[in-house]
Amino acid sequence: MSTMHNQAPVTHDEIEFASFYVADALMGVSIDQVEEINHNLELTPVPHAPPWVCGVMNLRGAVVTVIDLRVVLGLEPTVITRRTCNVVVRSGGEQIALLADRVADVVRARRGEIELPPANVAGAEGRYFQGIFKLDRELLVILDIESVLAGDAALS
Amino acid sequence: MPMNDDQILAEFVVESREHLAGIENQLLAIESGGENTDLDLVNTVFRAVHSIKGAAGFLGLNSIGHLAHALENVLNLIRNQQLRPDGTATDIMLHAADKLRGMIEDVDHSNDIDVSEQLRELEQVAAGERPQRGEAPPVEPTFEPVAAPEAAPEPSVNFSPAAEAFDPPSAEKDHSFEAAARAQPAAAAPAAASPPPAAESSIRVNVGVLDRLMNLAGELVLARNQLLQVVNTSEHRSLTTVGARLNQVTSELQETIMQTRLQTIGTIFSRFPRIVRDLSNSLGKECQLTLEGQEVEVDKSILQAISDPLTHLVRNAVDHGVETPEARSKAGKPLVGKIAMRAFHQAGKVNIVITDDGRGIDIARLKEKAVARGLLHPEQARAMSDREALQLVFRPGFSTAERVTEVSGRGVGMDVVKTNIERLGGTVTIETQIGRGTTFHVKLPLTLAIIPSLIVRSAGRRYAIPQTSIRELVRLKASDVAQRIEHIKRAQLFRLRGTLLPLIQLSAALDAQVDPSVSTGRAMNIIVVEAGHLRYGLVVDGLCDSEEIVVKPLGRHMKGCSCLAAATILGDGSVALILDCVGIAAHGQLTAPEEEEANHSGARSQVQETQSLLLFSNDPKEYFGIPMELVARIERVVVHQIDSVGGQKVLQYRGGTLPLLSLEDHVRCRTRPEKTKLYVVVFAAARREVGVLVPELLDIRGVSTQVDTDTFREPGIIGSVVYDGMTVRLVDLHELTRKAHPDWFDSQSQMATTPEGAAPRILLAEDSDFFRKQLVGFLEAEGYEVEGCEDGLVAWNTLQEPGNRFGLVVTDIEMPNMNGLELTRAIRQEPKYANLPIIAVTSLAGEEDVRQGRLMGVSEYHVKLDREQLLESVAKLTRGAGTKAKKRNLV
Repeated sequence: MSTMHNQAPVTHDEIEFASFYVADALMGVSIDQVEEINHNLELTPVPHAPPWVCGVMNLRGAVVTVIDLRVVLGLEPTVITRRTCNVVVRSGGEQIALLADRVADVVRARRGEIELPPANVAGAEGRYFQGIFKLDRELLVILDIESVLAGDAALS
Repeated sequence: MPMNDDQILAEFVVESREHLAGIENQLLAIESGGENTDLDLVNTVFRAVHSIKGAAGFLGLNSIGHLAHALENVLNLIRNQQLRPDGTATDIMLHAADKLRGMIEDVDHSNDIDVSEQLRELEQVAAGERPQRGEAPPVEPTFEPVAAPEAAPEPSVNFSPAAEAFDPPSAEKDHSFEAAARAQPAAAAPAAASPPPAAESSIRVNVGVLDRLMNLAGELVLARNQLLQVVNTSEHRSLTTVGARLNQVTSELQETIMQTRLQTIGTIFSRFPRIVRDLSNSLGKECQLTLEGQEVEVDKSILQAISDPLTHLVRNAVDHGVETPEARSKAGKPLVGKIAMRAFHQAGKVNIVITDDGRGIDIARLKEKAVARGLLHPEQARAMSDREALQLVFRPGFSTAERVTEVSGRGVGMDVVKTNIERLGGTVTIETQIGRGTTFHVKLPLTLAIIPSLIVRSAGRRYAIPQTSIRELVRLKASDVAQRIEHIKRAQLFRLRGTLLPLIQLSAALDAQVDPSVSTGRAMNIIVVEAGHLRYGLVVDGLCDSEEIVVKPLGRHMKGCSCLAAATILGDGSVALILDCVGIAAHGQLTAPEEEEANHSGARSQVQETQSLLLFSNDPKEYFGIPMELVARIERVVVHQIDSVGGQKVLQYRGGTLPLLSLEDHVRCRTRPEKTKLYVVVFAAARREVGVLVPELLDIRGVSTQVDTDTFREPGIIGSVVYDGMTVRLVDLHELTRKAHPDWFDSQSQMATTPEGAAPRILLAEDSDFFRKQLVGFLEAEGYEVEGCEDGLVAWNTLQEPGNRFGLVVTDIEMPNMNGLELTRAIRQEPKYANLPIIAVTSLAGEEDVRQGRLMGVSEYHVKLDREQLLESVAKLTRGAGTKAKKRNLV
């Protein structure tokens, strides 16, 4: 079983995930896809935007769309707290921030130990997930960023 | 030499492209020079082609090399004045240049391309073997791979792979100097006779780098703004000085970086001489294009976006503007048509004017076309001013060409031109004078990246409105609000110097949560904006500042937000959204008057499922409707203008007396509230004009013709429809009038019977359920037997059914399947119906319609819907028809 906080260099068959909580679920995105995680929550709401867009923010001069992961996954909209954070990823040539309830650790996993996701995780559709990785006490649900960001079709 | 070094090849493509970029116009200039060949220019072209040849040889691009060589050969002859560059030679050289360009764009496959035809043509030119040209000086064919060495200022360069013709690739990779500077075969001896090569004053820079610089400058501007906010509140003198310095440098830096994105408009103008030349040749026209202001600089992004619209306008000028030489000579004009393109800066905008001295736009024909294409109704066309009519050119699906030509009929219309220009924040206008020519005036902003904007506040948020959309700012004092704002239904209108502007509450357009206490009883800030043809007032909570803002695109998830154009970052680092005034208008369902016409005529050509109703309220809670087709006009009167004469309300009006009716006097409804101003809806009944007093107009709306004729039926009320959740009672103006003035109708009760005493049957064709029911109702009330049909075809079939005999046909004109005129024609073509009278009932009785109808065989025309006149006609015609029909039956 792989462990966290492992200082050993990442080997070929290992992959690191930035993890964070969305509601009660621990979710992860491959660390290669993450540009930064911040607590910049000065959002400007965008009228007529789809429900899963909670606004735009200024990320060092760029106007970045902020997506509410909870809404994409079919949960109640995020209530912003002190711990709410943005996971900034790059997709389709633009930076996009994913709103998460709380940031967690970096998780290192062996590729072979990542399992296919069940059809349904925590009430959300399986197509948003790439896989599941079992940690000691909980499951890490690995997000498929492109499906999450293309979630329009199902929701609109 | 193996072509494995992609980088060298890519360099070659870029460089060759630049060589070829100017070649067209240079060749054209050489041609127009005629006898006095501009040798310097020929040299320039020669060198460009020579460079391509050299590099192609080096890279093993044989087809390109051969063609470049043959072209170079011809140029050499011209340079040596052994050949005069006439039209044919120029044509062939242009084709060769085109071919070269094509091969260079697809350089990997260039060796597979057959250039033998171009080679043959060029060889013929070189040999003076052209049938069209007799006077070509005999020159000895020079097919040697070396270009006439004795005359060439360049050293002779072997066409075969020659290392010295091209810089060593290693030296090329890192610095990419302007090709012109490198165009000279660098390793070769300097060319003494040629003009000095362009100085290395410019370098090629990746556009991505420029964009990045631009963004960084934008960020710097923001950082500066934030810093200044802090500095200006501090007491430190030195800090203030540093702040001022930083401010100045930042502004200059931003401006300078902006300039790097600027390109001269000449880069796109330069393609037009060729386009005009080729197009006029293919159309058998003669055109001369003059270009002015090529040095005017515009942002690269605008330049790219404007290229296609301008091309379309130029092609249009050649194709539709300039006449054929025969037509021009007939009109006493010079044979050669003149097209001028002029670019200049004015008031912070780039102006481009395209003028031709052609036939101009025939506005009358424009209207005819619009009518023929169903874009416009004949009546609308007649009412339309010339200025409005010219705008028809920009309607989708419109082309002034008699026929769709290969040139203009490419699916790209003037509507696309207009849309694309407006998308850039620009405008396009036309002026035309018949027989004298047409001018298109395009105005564009200098850049799209930084735009002057007004920052406004609405529902606690700040938004930016581009200054280009703003016409004026109006602030209404709280005390004036009630007076200058009018309400029609939920819509607000604002009276500005005599015209009514629709108002849109920005907070409502953006679905913002509004605190109602804020908006009532307060002054009103109205921003008068112009979006396309539409002008409207945008109501905001407050105005903040005028700022130059850096436009930042919104992400892909916001593509559907039509009210927003982009976003920007304000001085305090927060994001403000940039509003799209066109989108807001569309969202608020405002339409320009002309679009309304289009919708209107569009609706007409379709099946009439809805009835246009004038909606009004008497008491605020009671809604009434009157079919718009019955309304002659609407007047606004002040209560004290209304007189009471013998218990009758009347209005002294246009030199006569207009009798007035109040709804509450005749139908069950609440009393109208006291108001100082009222509307009078004027209609025709009993062969006179009558007015109904209406306190509040709500709207004019298409309403379903599904009329409930039971629930609210009473004399004066036909029935009710449900519209938008409210019950609207339809007023029967005829019955209302009859109730109020029974005396007007006494003389009208004519016996609706034939001499035999049997009521004649009437065949009625009317597609609107509403009108059909009404007509059937009142004809039957007069004792006629009526067969109602929902269109002309049904009527025609009904007429032909065996055993059916009708004494009269009453038909609507506009109907689906078979319209009234077609029905009339069908009837008149059948000898047995030759004497069947036909009454056309229409809302559109223009003289032309009446004339056409009469030609078809319509007996009488009636405007919808003067019941008395119609009944009179029906009575008159059935009496005649009855006897005639009887006679015929006897035969």
